[in-house]
Amino acid sequence: MAQTNSHLTLLSDLTPPSLERTWLTSPHPTLPIVATCSSDKTVRIYSLTNFKLLSTITGGHKRSVRTAAWKPHISGESVLATGSFDATVGIWRRWDNYGATNTTEENHTNLTEGADDADTEDEEWRFAVLLDGHDSEVKSVSWSPSGMLLATCARDKSIWIWEDLDDGDNNFETVAVMQEHGGDVKCVSWHPVEECLASAGYDDTIRLWREDLDDWGQVACIKGHAGTVWFLDWEGVDTTPASAAGAVSADLQRQWCEQVSLSGPRLVSCSDDRTARIWRRVPKESVSGTALSSAATGIPSIIRPTGTDENWEEDACLPHAHELAIYSVAWSRRTGLIASVGADGRIVLYEERFVEGGPSTDAGADAGADAGADAMDTTDDAAPVQSSSLRTEWSIVAVVDGAHGIYEINHAAWAKRADRGSESTSTSTSPNEEEVLVTTADDGSVKVWSFQR
Amino acid sequence: MAEVQNSNPTILNVADLPTRSRSTKKSGDYDYTSGIFAAVPNPADFLSSDSEDDDLLEEPIDEQEIFDLIKLISDPEHPLSLGELAVVSLPDISIKPTLPNVPNSPLQTVTVLITPTITHCSLATVIGLGVRVRLEQSLPPRFRMDVRIKEGTHSTGDEVNKQLGDKERVAAALENGALMQVIAKMMETCR
Repeated sequence: MAQTNSHLTLLSDLTPPSLERTWLTSPHPTLPIVATCSSDKTVRIYSLTNFKLLSTITGGHKRSVRTAAWKPHISGESVLATGSFDATVGIWRRWDNYGATNTTEENHTNLTEGADDADTEDEEWRFAVLLDGHDSEVKSVSWSPSGMLLATCARDKSIWIWEDLDDGDNNFETVAVMQEHGGDVKCVSWHPVEECLASAGYDDTIRLWREDLDDWGQVACIKGHAGTVWFLDWEGVDTTPASAAGAVSADLQRQWCEQVSLSGPRLVSCSDDRTARIWRRVPKESVSGTALSSAATGIPSIIRPTGTDENWEEDACLPHAHELAIYSVAWSRRTGLIASVGADGRIVLYEERFVEGGPSTDAGADAGADAGADAMDTTDDAAPVQSSSLRTEWSIVAVVDGAHGIYEINHAAWAKRADRGSESTSTSTSPNEEEVLVTTADDGSVKVWSFQR
Repeated sequence: MAEVQNSNPTILNVADLPTRSRSTKKSGDYDYTSGIFAAVPNPADFLSSDSEDDDLLEEPIDEQEIFDLIKLISDPEHPLSLGELAVVSLPDISIKPTLPNVPNSPLQTVTVLITPTITHCSLATVIGLGVRVRLEQSLPPRFRMDVRIKEGTHSTGDEVNKQLGDKERVAAALENGALMQVIAKMMETCR
């Protein structure tokens, strides 16, 4: 099962911790900082360089802050969206060079009145605007890959898409409100490159949404979990499965990559049913009958032409490793590793590996295979009739029990390693930068882990 | 409560509810006959959990103790306790290791099965939430709560169970002033 030479090592706690439950920690897309959402109504900004608290964003929300996301692709300024149980979404801004150079009055003119009382201690964080629209607790927020669109979701079963007009006046326009979910929408997550939104929730479904002729609509509804779907994350665009050096022929690998690029990035989901599953879009070319795809999604295509419907199928179910609900999954866009955490206080890391041949469950066999192209000729007798029999298998590479002591872990996220120890401990031969895993728990603790092989 | 849903519930005598002496006896050492508190007529005189916080951390916690924590919660529509109405009962409480495959894991799961007085009781969720809140506030954090409607005793049991098992909904409910007032009222008889 788990390789004995792979392990997750605690680098540090983020200090000082919140004294109340923390729900989620969002790593900044470029800077070595993270934002941690707390039940004490604040968001804490910590450094990944020295693991210390940099500032605390207070005063914006009247109840627990449940979620936060950094706007991508902006320079010179950081923009954070926060979602709270008070049903509102807050937008916060800070100049990245704050303290280095004198910030001017530019863009300061549109601070919402009444928000200033929050700025006494941490004046560098400016409360920009409050997005009002949801009827109940906001559970998740996500910026589109371009940063132009913000998706939010709530217990009111709705998903809102807002456009950041970027007009210097902090104006956001409601682009769409989708209400197809049958219960709380627990999570929204944008595709890494396309304007395609995935959502999941209390109705046990995962849904995908795209814009078609100026109108946002559901293109797929995945019913594969037997409980609330808590979290979603997308695969990166360029990750390829690991394989023992040379165990799988380059040709087969290339074929696999071509297949995958037709489907696009996959989606991983985790649920109250204690499973984490991976979903793959069936390429249009392989679905000849459009009626078939409509039937598979279970959505009557009265309004939308069947041409926009997508067929998503289960690609894999990750090895069973959690005894209670899985609250979060994180798919590394750099290494392709998946991490899962949940109510059992356990962190589990999974790795995808190429497996050649039939449905063998002996993942260790590939280690002994010959290097180079010879591997193609050494497929065993059990190989299926299909010529390209390359497939992948997920295996557990690390498990940490009681990672936050007795407490439940609510969230996990990958971030670029930024502390001083990063050079010396890096043994990775890949060109990828070293990563850390950031986990967030019920007691307010946030821990930073490094993974070694 | 606009309308009493079950106007004639079965009521148990407080003195007949299972109990035991709270002396220095080791847990598991039951004593149903000489319990000094069994004779106390006023439920408000029962030991509150607050005075026992230290003990809770030290001593193993058993089913009787869980029952004692929740039996005095008031029913939201009757001037009676959940124990008296047999909404909660000792045989429907169990404590098990949460992670049986992890040696030395301190995590334990407390399962409380709730029997609503009538199968369509719309207050089942509130009662379940009250029980869960009571346990979360009284027990150390190494306990995982599993509060659910006893199978076959409620028309929408699965729905209620899903809500009660949803950590995020429970957390949000605790920040809901109106709902917490109802819960606080139910808890008054516990203190």
